[in-house]
Amino acid sequence: MTARWFPDEMPMPAASAETAGWWQAAADHRLVVQRCLACGATRHPPGPVCPRCRSADAELAVLPGTGTVYTFTVVHQAFIPSLGDRVPYVVAAVDLDGAGGARLVTNLVDVAPEEVRIGMPVTVAWEDMGPELALPRFRPVQEPR
Amino acid sequence: MAGAVSPSRRACIVGVGETRYARWGGIDDASEYSLAIEAILAALSDAGIDVSAVDGLCSFAGDRNESTFVAADLGIDELRYTTMSWLPGGGGASAAVTDAAMAVEAGQADVVVVYRSLCQGQFRRFGRGPGNERRARPTRLPGVRRSKGLIDTHLAFTLPFGVFGPPIAYAMVMQRHMHRYGTTAEHMGHVAVTTRAHAARNPRAVMGSRPMTMDDYLASRMVAEPFRLFDCCLENDGACAVVVTSEEQAADLRQRAVAVLAGAQGTVRGYGHGQFCNVNMDDDDYTSAGARTVAARLWGRAGIGPHDVDVAQVYDHFTGLVLLSLEDFGFCGRGEGGPFAASGALAWPDGSVPTNTHGGSLSEAYIHGLNHVVEGVRQLRGQSTCQVEGAETCLVTSAAGVPTSALVLGRA
Repeated sequence: MTARWFPDEMPMPAASAETAGWWQAAADHRLVVQRCLACGATRHPPGPVCPRCRSADAELAVLPGTGTVYTFTVVHQAFIPSLGDRVPYVVAAVDLDGAGGARLVTNLVDVAPEEVRIGMPVTVAWEDMGPELALPRFRPVQEPR
Repeated sequence: MAGAVSPSRRACIVGVGETRYARWGGIDDASEYSLAIEAILAALSDAGIDVSAVDGLCSFAGDRNESTFVAADLGIDELRYTTMSWLPGGGGASAAVTDAAMAVEAGQADVVVVYRSLCQGQFRRFGRGPGNERRARPTRLPGVRRSKGLIDTHLAFTLPFGVFGPPIAYAMVMQRHMHRYGTTAEHMGHVAVTTRAHAARNPRAVMGSRPMTMDDYLASRMVAEPFRLFDCCLENDGACAVVVTSEEQAADLRQRAVAVLAGAQGTVRGYGHGQFCNVNMDDDDYTSAGARTVAARLWGRAGIGPHDVDVAQVYDHFTGLVLLSLEDFGFCGRGEGGPFAASGALAWPDGSVPTNTHGGSLSEAYIHGLNHVVEGVRQLRGQSTCQVEGAETCLVTSAAGVPTSALVLGRA
C-alpha cells in the first residue's frame, strides 16, 4: 500500500495510559495483545487490571499477525464527504491467532468486498500513517493450491 | 414496583407529552432545549399537574439539557431528586423511568418528570460532526494524541477504521447473526414494513404518509451490509416526556394511571459500551441485544413472562436489532427472531404481540426511545392509534446493543 488507504480526514486514534503501549507497538509493526501475568487471560483493548483475576501485572504479548474474519460489513455510505471516492470499503472484526480469543476491528484490503467471507484467513498489513503511528489493516492469506 | 412499598406510594405514570416531530433539521424556530421544556409542560398538562408540584427530573446519558437548568427555567420550587442514567444513548430511557419510580416509592420525590429532547438538525450526531473532519496533514501527524476520556480511548480502536457510529457497528452484529442462524434481509424487512404500516395511523409519525412495501424496502440503498436505508431509524427533531408520581396522588388526576410493574437495567459480563465499540465478548452475547440478564430480572420482578404481555414497544434503531431483542426477551428462541417477525407476530391488530404500535424510531420518531414509553402508556389508557383491544400489560425495551434497560407497564 503506497497510497493512503483512507483519506487524510479520517479520525486518528487517541491513547490513554493503558493503551499507549499498544499503539507504540503498532508504530513498530508489532501486533500485540495485553496478557495477564498472574492468570494468563488476554484482554483487548488494554485495561488497568485483569477482568478475570484483578491482577495489575500484565505484558503486551507479540502475536503472529494472522487470524480469521469473525464478522464484517461492506460500508457503502460515505459518512464523511471525503470518503465519497473510497466507498465501498470493508470493516471487519478479526479473531487474532494466539490471542486467547481477543478480536480486533480493522479493514480488509487487497480483496474485492463481495469476496469477503466469515472464517476467511487473513494476515496483518501495516499502514504507516506517520513516524509514530501505524494502523493494522488485514489482507487475505493466499490459499495454498 | 417493589412489593414492600405501601400501595399509596406505588409509582405510576400519569402524564405523557410530546412536541411536534419533524425530520432532521425540520424544527428551526425552537431550540432543542426549548422543546424539552415544551414536552415537559405538555406531559404535566396531560396529567393535570401544575408545574409547581414537580420536585424531580430524570434523564439518561448524554443529555445536553441538564435538569438543573430545566428546574430553574421552569420555576420549580425545590428540586429534590435528579439523576441521569449512565446507560448510553437509547439504552437508558427505561432506566430513567425506573429511577423516577424508585424515587417516588422511596419518598425522595413526589412528582418526577422524565424527558428527552433531540434535535439532530441543530447538533448533528455522533460520527458525523465537523469534529471528525480534522485536517491532519500526513507529513505532520504527531503520532497518537492523548485520549480525552474512556470513550475516546475505546473508539480509537474503531473510528480510524471507518466505523462511523451505530449503523456500521451493528451491521457487523447482524452479519454474524445471519451467518449463525440464517437470518435474511426479508426478515428484517418485515420489521420495517410492519412498523411503517403502524405509523400510517399515527398523525404524529414523521413517516406516517410514506407507505412502504417489501419491494420498497429491498430497493432502498445499501448503507452498511446488511443494513439498507430502511433498516435504519430516523434522524429527526422533537422531544417527549412522561410524569411519574404515586398512586395516592394519581387518584384525582386527569388520566387513567399506568402502573410501573417492573423495571430492570444493566449489562452482561464484559459488555462495556456494548457492540457499539466492543467486539470482545462471548459469541452468544455479540449476536444478542445484550439484554439477556435484564430480561430475566425484569420478568422475575413483574411476575409475568413474554407470552403474557398484550403489546410491546421494542427499541428499533435498526430493524435487525428488534429481532435480537425479541430473542433476548423470550418471545422466541435464540436465532429465531427473523422467522418470528416474518410470521406476522409483530403486526397490529392480529399479531401475537403487536410491536411498536406508534411506528417506533423507524417511522414515528427517534427520541432515544422515550417515545416508546409514551406509546406504552397510551396503549394501557386505550388511546393508541393502533389500540390493542383490552391491553393490560406492555413491555417497553430500550436500546439493544448497548447497556440497556426495560419496563413492564400495566393498568394501575
